[in-house]
Amino acid sequence: MRVIIDGKECEAGYGEYILDVARRNGIHIPTLCHSGALPGQGSCRLCIVEVAEAGKKKVVVSCLYPITGEIEVTTNSERIYRMRRNIVRLLAARAPSGEFIKKLREEYGIPEETRFKVDEKEKCILCGLCVRACEEIGLSAISTVNRGTTKKVAPPFEEPPEDCIGCASCAYVCPTGAIEVQEFEGKRVIWNRAFELLKCAGCGRYFITRQQYEYIKNKHGIDMKEPLCDRCRQKSTAEKLIHLL
Amino acid sequence: MIQEKRGEDLSQVKSILDRYPRERRFLLAILQDIQKTYNYLPREALNEVRDYLGIPLSSLYSMATFYKALSLKPKGTYVIKVCDGTACHIRGSMDLIDEIRKLLSVSPGEVTKDGRFSLETVNCVGSCALAPVMVINDKYYGNLKPAMVKEILAGYGGIRGDWDTK
Amino acid sequence: MTGTPNNSGKTVLVCCGTGCLANNSMEIYKELKKRVEALGPGFAVRPVLKTTGCNGLCEKGPIVNILPDDIFYCRVRVSDVDEIFEKTILRGEVIERLLYLDTSTGRRVRSHKESEFYRRQLKIALRNIGQIDPASIDDYIERGGYNALKKALFEMSPELVISEIERSGLRGRGGAGFPTGYKWRQCKRVNSFPKYVVCNGDEGDPGAFMDRSIMEGDPHSVIEGMIIGAYAVGSKKGFIYIRDEYSLAVRNVSKAIEDAYSRGFLGRGIMGSGFNFDVEVVRGGGAFVCGESTALMASIEGRVGEPRVKYIRSTEKGLWGQPTVLNNVETWANVPVIIDRGADWFAAIGTDRSKGTKVFSLVGKVKNTGLIEVPMGITLREIIFDIGGGITGNGKFKAVQTGGPSGGCIPEALLDLPVDFDSLDRAGSMMGSGGMIVMDETTCMVEVARYYLKFLSEESCGKCTPCREGIRRMLEILEDICAGRGQEGDLELLLELSETVKEASLCGLGKTAPNPVLTTIKYFESEYLAHIRDKRCPAGVCRKLTSYRINTDLCRGCGLCAKKCPAGAISGKPGAPHIIDVSSCIVCGTCREVCRFNAVEVIGGRSE
Repeated sequence: MRVIIDGKECEAGYGEYILDVARRNGIHIPTLCHSGALPGQGSCRLCIVEVAEAGKKKVVVSCLYPITGEIEVTTNSERIYRMRRNIVRLLAARAPSGEFIKKLREEYGIPEETRFKVDEKEKCILCGLCVRACEEIGLSAISTVNRGTTKKVAPPFEEPPEDCIGCASCAYVCPTGAIEVQEFEGKRVIWNRAFELLKCAGCGRYFITRQQYEYIKNKHGIDMKEPLCDRCRQKSTAEKLIHLL
Repeated sequence: MIQEKRGEDLSQVKSILDRYPRERRFLLAILQDIQKTYNYLPREALNEVRDYLGIPLSSLYSMATFYKALSLKPKGTYVIKVCDGTACHIRGSMDLIDEIRKLLSVSPGEVTKDGRFSLETVNCVGSCALAPVMVINDKYYGNLKPAMVKEILAGYGGIRGDWDTK
Repeated sequence: MTGTPNNSGKTVLVCCGTGCLANNSMEIYKELKKRVEALGPGFAVRPVLKTTGCNGLCEKGPIVNILPDDIFYCRVRVSDVDEIFEKTILRGEVIERLLYLDTSTGRRVRSHKESEFYRRQLKIALRNIGQIDPASIDDYIERGGYNALKKALFEMSPELVISEIERSGLRGRGGAGFPTGYKWRQCKRVNSFPKYVVCNGDEGDPGAFMDRSIMEGDPHSVIEGMIIGAYAVGSKKGFIYIRDEYSLAVRNVSKAIEDAYSRGFLGRGIMGSGFNFDVEVVRGGGAFVCGESTALMASIEGRVGEPRVKYIRSTEKGLWGQPTVLNNVETWANVPVIIDRGADWFAAIGTDRSKGTKVFSLVGKVKNTGLIEVPMGITLREIIFDIGGGITGNGKFKAVQTGGPSGGCIPEALLDLPVDFDSLDRAGSMMGSGGMIVMDETTCMVEVARYYLKFLSEESCGKCTPCREGIRRMLEILEDICAGRGQEGDLELLLELSETVKEASLCGLGKTAPNPVLTTIKYFESEYLAHIRDKRCPAGVCRKLTSYRINTDLCRGCGLCAKKCPAGAISGKPGAPHIIDVSSCIVCGTCREVCRFNAVEVIGGRSE
């Protein structure tokens, strides 16, 4: 089916999200909580666009709005720009210290916040990607806690999480670098819990926590026999292949 | 950090769990029953629920901090709920709270030192015609004035100590 | 109210709605019962004693109604029981002083039906409440209960039931006013099973207790409505989600479900037909956002009540991803009447686009507070001044808040607005579930807006940015304004943030959250400006912006205020006018409250 995005005619599959169609056609819509691997958040609201359907205009989030009919989409009208700028301002007032947020603020020409009380150290924008990532891995060591303006992401009882394997996927998907990971002396500390790191049997580099190694082995039945980092595993597979030839 | 009593007798948790099939949809009901029985959600009880339903502890913690009916801290023997619904608000519920704060030295969300009273504000108990309203455990007090609070609390034994000299 | 009307027998109805219970009505019931039981077997016609749900006139409770003479006693005390029993129940005499005093005419009326409060009302959803014992399925059946179900199952096809509801023009009573019949049709159309019907009884609007009264006072009407709805859309399973705080509602609905099973209205082969339907109660967890349909469904599934994006309707993918019809308590309670009496009868009531009646809880600074049901299209003035009897004390009307935290404040100039879905929307408010809070000159509109935003900041689920962060910052501004820290440009910023929160939020909670702010700025801008520019709260509510003064002409020097002042800020000789020392006054308002001569005046502009 055909849709018009910012005046450009685009081909879209039934039920496809506006964001995907726009990106395929080189139309930029900013996002924060969107991740190809973990879709369906819809929480940051940065990707709002205006949709005109049957003579009616409405504001929707492009990452989750499925195309099911002839629509016309405007991704950057004056109104959308104004609201998106407000969303960036609100996020920057909440979590001013993340690099990505700083960049967005500059992009939208938002001055230093003077009207609201600001916590300079805060980086989390509560997009929820970390919680989703942990859930997808099958652990759910962290979750959202509280509700409303006091909502945050934390492990149960805000103690070092029992169910965590220290894989740091949460930190990896975080768009604002809000989850702290420290590595030193063969240890990784995340969520205030320290994990022993294992060395790669090939290159000797620390690369995986013991719990992570066990989890992959037990849960997914992938027996590495000995821990190998991605690069070394690639190398060893290639070597095996060459020997076979 | 959350303070709680240690060594709760968990036998009742097991009988609560026995009443429900092992399905996620009964989670809220189970937590409410535990809350009703113990006046809060003991940590060991949450572990039992996790094992019974196979739900991660983080989900339980998330639920416990999301729903107002659930609490991770023990509440007082008498739970004073001052309604701060709109009707009560414009008829002076905040003055009631001030009065209780003065009498019991307790703020909303807190428990008195002797553990007898906890004070909560609630958003409408649906008795707007009697505004302002206060509920102690399940007893409703309507059309209140701050001056009436002292006598009502005295009916619950007041707070330990000579609060009359205040 | 017995099966065969027996004119020589009396029925005594003791209201045991929450309002009356709080005023000791259960004790009155027990005392009356004791006396009735003591009559002994020789007594020919034994009076029947019943507890009922809320009569609506909670302000005048406890209420005792004696049938068939329809003698309506208000503010009954336990000490009145002997007299009521001896005179009225045994001898049929009327006790004048207990009769309802009509505030508009100043006369006592024998039957409540003669009073202004009831005369203007039309009871459909509340048809049985106050007339039946909610714990008795027989009472419900005697008043025509489950007739509609029988008619639907044996005389109507599911298709016909839906078209009847469509023709009636019934719109959802929970808030947005979505056409009920159309919703059912959407659900029926989807070819995916199982399907669910859900009743939203998570009434959370502060200042509203309509659904509570229906669930407590006439639970079968809701259950019957749901069975009919389930039959129409092809569902076999229903859930009634009830706010946990409503313990009596949970109890009465659960009892009603049990009784309905035992009489064959629920379960397999309902009333001997081939239709099966089960229903169960789910207790809410105490979260306002669960009034939002997708959050409510998440809660039933045993999850945190976060809403999900609704671009695909619940009628297609709702509970556990299956087609689901969700209606609120009052909507379901209307269904049996429409089926029983027909769409044409229902559609003749109300206005062009808002059919039938609406239940409101009329509360705040109004004389007759309580629960009312009125035809759509009645004006706010009629509700507040004719039914409500006007403003309490000698106060002056300032605004009426409708629609709960999602609604808005409507000023005096719009009092002749007809009450229907579309008119209220146009005024910037909404019907909502039916809370109606009357405010007078002593209510500060800025503080009211602050109050609602505070409420919403705690009740927002916190998932999406505009709602969580937008409400937080709007609240920050309003708190500043109320504390005298308001700045030039605050109003403009509030308006701009309102647009973003309204348009970009995920669910209905956020999309309507700015309404209280928008309407108070629209209709009461000068009050905002008094706070921001003059640092003055004209209503005398915001303490930092208020001070008190004793009017020396009115003060008799009784010294009561000085005695009660907790700060020791009042001085004066006995018999001579007293003075408040502004520097030590803590603006608690005690002096104003205790003064018997209205000598304490509110002045603004407290300089810091």
